[in-house]
Amino acid sequence: MAGLPRRIIKETQRLMQEPVSGITALPDENNARYFHVTVIGPKESPYENGTFKLELFLPEEYPMSAPKVRFLTKIYHPNIDKLGRICLDILKDKWSPALQIRTVLLSIQALLSAPNPDDPLANEVADAWKSDESQAIETAKAWTQKHAI
Amino acid sequence: MGNCFKTPSTDDISLLRGHDNQDGAEQALGPPPPYQERVPVYHPSPNVSRLANQLSEEEQIKIAKRLGLISHLPVGVYDGSSKKGKECVICMNEFILGESLRFLPCMHTYHRDCIDDWLMRSFTCPSCMEPVDAALLSTYETN
Repeated sequence: MAGLPRRIIKETQRLMQEPVSGITALPDENNARYFHVTVIGPKESPYENGTFKLELFLPEEYPMSAPKVRFLTKIYHPNIDKLGRICLDILKDKWSPALQIRTVLLSIQALLSAPNPDDPLANEVADAWKSDESQAIETAKAWTQKHAI
Repeated sequence: MGNCFKTPSTDDISLLRGHDNQDGAEQALGPPPPYQERVPVYHPSPNVSRLANQLSEEEQIKIAKRLGLISHLPVGVYDGSSKKGKECVICMNEFILGESLRFLPCMHTYHRDCIDDWLMRSFTCPSCMEPVDAALLSTYETN
């Protein structure tokens, strides 16, 4: 692999120096492009008090292409499937090299506060969310208790 | 007098020649490299990478148009006078005097190499997401 681009070194340093509240991102000892991430479930969301583990990988083309991010902790969310893949526009066609690891993780945190069942990745979860929202929220809370605490 | 430049010290000459000869010798000794044309890679969309010889006709046209449009975007050299951002948000390095920059119609500025790489994938400004072609056309209209 070619040397690590200055940008990745800078972003890593800034993440350490000015951490984002509710989010940690630590580079792997053996691979500086692979980050161990935790996101705390936002207040007043069904994920409150949960600590969700994610993995984030900066591909060779980064920042020309988006980081690859996946939930490792099971989560009941209409835009996150059972493999932990996330349906978020900035990780796909709305990616811009002006975005950073920091902004991506903040967007994922925001997605937990604002599930969007009209643009689903997990169809069953999205259907449940649309047909009986309060029941879906209860399920999401139960999953948070079971898997993220 | 006046011949200092014509007769550099013999040490300098031997160092330079030595390197030249070594390089030359290595090249001469090695087997001739197999004939292989380097095929450039293009990105018809941000997450698609394709070798130039694998592009569909539609994609070729898109890329040709893109190259043409990019060449109309103004370029310049960083002279230190920019009152706006002094850092290229793509590589996150500060602009250094003499570096080649490109200016987008939305007034955002980047290293020329950084932004050209991005514009070949998506014709939008990374900072404001403004489509560059629409902005480019409107500047033509106002002029």
